[in-house]
Amino acid sequence: MRCGEIGMLLHPYLDGELTEDLEAVVSRHLLRCSACAHEAHSLEQTRAMLRSAVEQAEPSDAFVERTSARLRDRLSQHIRPAPRQIVGRQWTLPFTRDDQASGE
Amino acid sequence: MNTLFVLHVDRVFAYARHLLGSREDAEEVTSEAFLRAFEKAAAFRGECPLRGWLFGITRNLCMDRLRQPRLLLLEPDEVAQQSDLGAQAAAMEAAAAVRGVLASLDEPQKMVLLLCDVEQWDAREVAAVLGKSVSATKSLLYRARRTMKSRLTEAWADTEPEENLDALW
Repeated sequence: MRCGEIGMLLHPYLDGELTEDLEAVVSRHLLRCSACAHEAHSLEQTRAMLRSAVEQAEPSDAFVERTSARLRDRLSQHIRPAPRQIVGRQWTLPFTRDDQASGE
Repeated sequence: MNTLFVLHVDRVFAYARHLLGSREDAEEVTSEAFLRAFEKAAAFRGECPLRGWLFGITRNLCMDRLRQPRLLLLEPDEVAQQSDLGAQAAAMEAAAAVRGVLASLDEPQKMVLLLCDVEQWDAREVAAVLGKSVSATKSLLYRARRTMKSRLTEAWADTEPEENLDALW
């Protein structure tokens, strides 16, 4: 494989995304070709310098708890109260009269 | 809603933090993003993946904030402490140079480097946030890495004698 083709594979090679066979091809080429080896090394070092200079961003536990509580409060404002519990018979027949019970 | 928050708060915060450059601003935007997502949840019809929708809200809030006049507060240098003063000074200088080059990149290249190489997100996650295909995201990443490398080399060349250039890598 020529240097131009290897150059296109260097990034996925550094990211560990090549198949085993292709990775072996690139590795063998880098052992023989100082120019491509230098390019691979400089890309790798650039990434390492970037990771040293910029920390990963993580929210603090206090922020997560505070925001979670705020969301729960907002959510509770949108929940309607449960309907009043109805106990016992609430309906009557419209034609029921006391005189009907005595047979008149 | 709480599940949405728990699943995505770390990612949303990291994205806002790197866009805005300030922890305090990132906290405010992250909090507001989830509140707005809750308020707009009823209107969300699934036109796009939920994560992309959430990051779209976050991005808009970040852009609004960046458009406001703001006092630039310098965050403390986040470089590992070293006992040797000489090594510490060199590390701080190198870190400052890297951050300077990073700031000179256009926003897509800067964000893809931060999300892929610093935060180490999967390319599919970054693609969803940036609204690009996975292959376009990887192409952008590779281009950004090459740009970063060449600008760092130029920055080094500006400060070093020519015979020391090989020592950079």
